[in-house]
Amino acid sequence: MTNKTKSSLVLVGHGSTLNPDSSAPTFQHADEIVRRGLFAEVYCTFWKEEPSLREILRMVEGEDVYVVPNFISEGYFTETVIPRELELAGPVTHRAGKIIKYCEPVGNDPRMVDLLLRRAREAAPNVPEEKTSLLIVGHGTSLNEKSAEAAQSQVRAIRDKGLYAEVSEAYMEESPFIADWRQNTTQPNVVVVPFFIADGLHSYQDIPVLLGIESSPTAAASQQEVFRRNPYPLEGRLLYYANAIGTEPLMADVILDTIDRFDRKHPSASAA
Amino acid sequence: MIRDDLARLIKAGYNALGELEFTESSHGYLLYHWADRNSLPEAEVYHSTDDAREIAKFDSSGAYRPLKGAPNLPRGWLIELTSIDALQRALDYFYPGAIASWLAYHAGTVAPVCLRKTLNRQSGMYRVTRQLTEDQAQDLVKEACRSDSRCLRTILWGIEENQSPDFLPSSKSDPTVDQTGQERAALPILCLEACNLLVAAARTALKKSPR
Repeated sequence: MTNKTKSSLVLVGHGSTLNPDSSAPTFQHADEIVRRGLFAEVYCTFWKEEPSLREILRMVEGEDVYVVPNFISEGYFTETVIPRELELAGPVTHRAGKIIKYCEPVGNDPRMVDLLLRRAREAAPNVPEEKTSLLIVGHGTSLNEKSAEAAQSQVRAIRDKGLYAEVSEAYMEESPFIADWRQNTTQPNVVVVPFFIADGLHSYQDIPVLLGIESSPTAAASQQEVFRRNPYPLEGRLLYYANAIGTEPLMADVILDTIDRFDRKHPSASAA
Repeated sequence: MIRDDLARLIKAGYNALGELEFTESSHGYLLYHWADRNSLPEAEVYHSTDDAREIAKFDSSGAYRPLKGAPNLPRGWLIELTSIDALQRALDYFYPGAIASWLAYHAGTVAPVCLRKTLNRQSGMYRVTRQLTEDQAQDLVKEACRSDSRCLRTILWGIEENQSPDFLPSSKSDPTVDQTGQERAALPILCLEACNLLVAAARTALKKSPR
């Protein structure tokens, strides 16, 4: 990537007021990018933690600022909440001597498909794929249709590879619902991969309850001794539940590629 | 640079921020909880700004601290930092943006945003908070933001446009007052706009209130 040692990087995460692990992937990738010495400064900011989106641009001292949403899809947060809270005018905003470059969410990177498949294989390394349903589970929301579209495009791409007997999607807040996985999958093995950044409130605590592998939300992942005990025998089938993809070390490179993509798409802003 | 201003403030005598205290040492800076100032030899010693992030994350009972301004930092630790850059970074993990906000406020580049304006731009699950009345808002802020148990920030915003936060004790909106009650030379943690936790609390309050 081109020299950014005079530029600032702001990673935006969702964060959580309930789960201490939600912010971890965002800090992890920021730490890695700091370690590589690529930017003058790197900051994390969160919707539900501090520093808030309202505060962060006061902390940033550079004038050339890249903002990368560490979000899995375009949708309500990337199109409504983040631009509103940061008072962005579009992909490029000039304000108070700063040029703020608003990049796509990391989930738009073409490597998400490979990361999802890698997580599926880690969770269920020895299952015969021809007898396995792969279920990609996303948040989904009535507030913005793009949230589900992102998961759908991953499902299509994985299905096209012809690896698993069946590849389907399910959501927390829209149909097809996660809780209906028994009816919506047909194979004796079911591998569920959360299309989420963090092993946080939704993917670690809420979705296992919806799947039926926990009867009530457990403590946060970081406060447990064992992450998961795959597989879970449920009604004559074996269910495997994977980690969220956002903690993959490769995500730091995905963030850097997201910035490269921004520069290619907005060459005049990048020359400024 | 923020770090130069921070160094200047330390030279001018400021040595506290929220529950923290910091002093210059022969190798850089020491950072610790004010209540440990007389028992530092017994404190567990750390050396990295990343340690600051982890210490700030949980209270002494191990419970998650989503609100960094909450007066419940754990005790018994001492962070030795070798540069003003590292001190700035560590302070930003304990009280994110506090120094930058204080400097920006003094430079006149930021102004407080009233609660109504914050609530009126909410959407999705928080859109309902636009219905919060002025009385409900005052009651909520008085309880949810109180310095003795909830948040050490100094509130500079009022409920409605052009209002001051005069419904609060005057000390809560006075940047010269040490919100821990220690009367130290403390930098204030300015609250220039209601946080997401307060917006979420407004939603909860509205859902509980009789319609």
